[in-house]
Amino acid sequence: MALLSIEDLSLHYVTSRGVARAVDGASLSVERGQVVGLVGESGCGKTTLARAVTGVIPRSARIVGGKIMFDGMDLVTASRRDANRLRWREISFVPQSAMNSLDPVYRVGTQLMEVLTDRGGMDRRKAKARAAELFEMVGIGVDRLHDYPHQFSGGMRQRAAIALGLALSPKLVIADEPVTALDVVVQRQVLDLIRRLQQELSLSVIIVTHDISVVAYLCDAVAVMYAGKVVEVGRAADVLNAPDHPYTMGLYNAFPDLERSQRRLTPIAGAPPSLIDPPSGCRFEPRCPFSIAKCGEEPPLEEIRAGHRAACWRTGDAAELREKAADVATWEQREGVGA
Amino acid sequence: MEYIARRVLYTLFVLWAVASILFLMFRLMPGDPRAAFIDNTFTAEQQQLLLVQFGLDQPLYVQYGKYMVNLVQGDLGMSFIYKRPVVEMVMEVLPNSLVLTLTSLIIAYAFGMVAGAFLARMRGTWVEGVTIPVVLATRAAPEFWLGMVFLAIFSFSLGWFPAGGASSAGITYDSFWQQLVSPDYWRHLALPVITLTLYLQGLPLLLMRSNMLEVMEDEFVTMARMKGLSEWSIVMRHAARNALLPVATAFALGVGFSISGNVVIETVFSWPGIGRLLVTAVSSSDYPLAQGAFLFITVVFVVANLIADMLYAVLDPRVSHGSAG
Amino acid sequence: MAAQVDTSPAGAAAKPRAAWHRRLKQVLPTSDPFAVAGILIYVVFILVAIFADQLATHDPMEILFTDTYKLARSLPPGPDHLLGTTNVGRDIYSQLIYGTRGALLIGFAAAAAVVAVGTLVGLVSGYLGGWVDNVLMRLADIALGIPFLPFVVVLAAFLRPSMWNVVFAITILLWPNSGRVIRSQVLSVRERAFVEAAVVTGASKAQILFVHIAPNVLPLSFLYGSIAVGWAILTEASISFLGFGPSDTVTWGYMLQDAYASQALSRGHYNWFVPPGVCIILVVLAGFFITRGYEEILFPKLRR
Repeated sequence: MALLSIEDLSLHYVTSRGVARAVDGASLSVERGQVVGLVGESGCGKTTLARAVTGVIPRSARIVGGKIMFDGMDLVTASRRDANRLRWREISFVPQSAMNSLDPVYRVGTQLMEVLTDRGGMDRRKAKARAAELFEMVGIGVDRLHDYPHQFSGGMRQRAAIALGLALSPKLVIADEPVTALDVVVQRQVLDLIRRLQQELSLSVIIVTHDISVVAYLCDAVAVMYAGKVVEVGRAADVLNAPDHPYTMGLYNAFPDLERSQRRLTPIAGAPPSLIDPPSGCRFEPRCPFSIAKCGEEPPLEEIRAGHRAACWRTGDAAELREKAADVATWEQREGVGA
Repeated sequence: MEYIARRVLYTLFVLWAVASILFLMFRLMPGDPRAAFIDNTFTAEQQQLLLVQFGLDQPLYVQYGKYMVNLVQGDLGMSFIYKRPVVEMVMEVLPNSLVLTLTSLIIAYAFGMVAGAFLARMRGTWVEGVTIPVVLATRAAPEFWLGMVFLAIFSFSLGWFPAGGASSAGITYDSFWQQLVSPDYWRHLALPVITLTLYLQGLPLLLMRSNMLEVMEDEFVTMARMKGLSEWSIVMRHAARNALLPVATAFALGVGFSISGNVVIETVFSWPGIGRLLVTAVSSSDYPLAQGAFLFITVVFVVANLIADMLYAVLDPRVSHGSAG
Repeated sequence: MAAQVDTSPAGAAAKPRAAWHRRLKQVLPTSDPFAVAGILIYVVFILVAIFADQLATHDPMEILFTDTYKLARSLPPGPDHLLGTTNVGRDIYSQLIYGTRGALLIGFAAAAAVVAVGTLVGLVSGYLGGWVDNVLMRLADIALGIPFLPFVVVLAAFLRPSMWNVVFAITILLWPNSGRVIRSQVLSVRERAFVEAAVVTGASKAQILFVHIAPNVLPLSFLYGSIAVGWAILTEASISFLGFGPSDTVTWGYMLQDAYASQALSRGHYNWFVPPGVCIILVVLAGFFITRGYEEILFPKLRR
């Protein structure tokens, strides 16, 4: 059984301009010890989906349907107490900007101790030893426990945030754009750290990222989100090497590789649609270079091969589309369409 | 350290400037400066004596030099009317002002912070809709008018509190400390404190509320929730601790501002403090006393500003602990 | 060049008149209900001040007598004297009406002066920089280091009590607040594209400062102006209450001082000292509400 399985989850934001369907019937599952990437452009609902798993969603957000099954318990319907018991002990979070997510007025060590004693039930002596162990694990000198967050460099803050996330040996870690705020060299170091720790501790990890190269580097599986829906999901190597959804093909062209960045980058023209009033039918259709009449209807997320599913009417022509998609001109033709 | 040194220097600079302005004001105002403080019923002989006594027969720069030297030595001259050293008179009433101000400020800030944090949680409810205009009205009311209304109701009409002064007729104290612990003193203090507290509580309340609203949206508060910390920890240990920074600064500033604003409240309640001393000195053209009282108020005001700055540095590690890469 | 500039957002540089027009539209915050309430309160008080001669039933300082030729002292509110009379037989309602004129006159005069000085200093200091900036900002430090009310008391006592001296005292202590903020606004505005465009097209320093930069700090000036009106009215009331107010004008502060000194409190003449206080609260509150409206214009992210 999967450690986490999100089934048909819908989450809406109630705003003054209307109801934004940020997550609209998304499904995703994470096996034990598996690293799953959640990719898409900003505003596609990936962060919202990931944060829903932590149980902390913005005040204006409502879960209107679906399940989040974690270790046999549905977090959507679970009581506050039951859900709270899992927080940080079973499911922890590594934020994008460690600067804003560490409390500026407490020493980093104090913030670690808080979690270890308040949530881990350790006494101070044990907690101190554990804090030192955690810092060693993420490669920060133990003496830096006495520093305040603003005294850390960006990379160190991110490491500290990882240490904080691993403090109570959770089963699942959700990392929201864990390296986006860092410069390239440090990005690589932090990704290596995540990979090493994931293997040593056989963690399950969800990595939210807009950067497909991060997925290629770290993930076993990947789910591609577009406009609140999962449009393609499968083994990472599969999805990246042989994408079936035109959006995935487009994303692949849009990002540099961590390994080889000589490839010419072509952004997908236009922007994701409004989630308040999304297009009927396939939501990517307005920006898709391969759209056909059929795309006015909404495609289901169908299994194409074992463990690989995509929501597109043209999966049958996928091989041909991939060839065309590799040609930069294909994407340039559509320029200005969805803008 | 360098920051504090700079702030101290700056404070000294302001003090020097204010003292100089005061000197010039009392001597360079249009008209004969003597007219301001020498009654024309005095004989020419008496006038001449006074001129010599205050050094006014000397050139201006000599006067200024003497004035500054005396000031540094803590000598503010003699009261013209009471014939007593100004410093002594000021020191006699300063404790009353400080007791009034600090008591009111502490109550006002304690209440304001709790109420402000509470109102932040009540955001968007009818409680907020009713409370905020009321709080704003207390900020808009002249404090002496609040005092007048309270006097009319609680003192004259209901007879709950004495109508003014700091002690009942016939009561004397051997020391300030004896006075401070006497119930009679506190009975006199009550109404001024209530008035001042009502006037002062609006600022910390509104400040705390808006800070809380802002901090509660901060990512580290969201993180605290994800960690599953208790609501108490989230609100008090993380949100309130951060929202408190500007309020603490406002408190220190408030000491200065309300000492300076005390001139009216002390007058309404005939409270023997430094503000009332200034007003009576100015009214009776007791120039050395007025100058001395004003300088003392300035010192308290400027030093309170200095403390506010330093307090911020102490409370905010981002200032007190420089970044060490 | 001109044609290019016109089509870009920096077109404002080529059309300073449009910039002023655009800013003036922002000068009155009419989107916020509180601000609208504040403006309404102001309008009512301004009308009262203008038509004081028509609204008042008596000369505010005249000592009145009853039909039986007795001094009309301490009369309760009634048809002849809407708010009663003072202990020496003056009509309280008429004093309140004329007091509105006095208070608003001082309030607006002081606000105008504070804003004018603050804006000018802010503009010059921010735009010229260097030693001019340094001197002006040190002056601001000193003014902010002076305890406000005590200084006004001393100054008012020296300058002989008059309305303009109260305005003067308020101005020299309050300008630094607006001056500092406007200075920092100028610092950021002068780096923007349209100012650069104006420099390139050879506009003079004064032209750049007053035609291109000034419109952008105007809402801030008005924000500080609406704060200063309330401050000035409160300050005038305090000064008058302490007995250093203008002797030539009836104001709310004068009425309160008169009431306090005439034992109105112990005699329970609420009709005498409550109305002026309520008027002061209303005007100052209106200022707060309008300020709130400006904050929404100036800092829209505060909107929730």
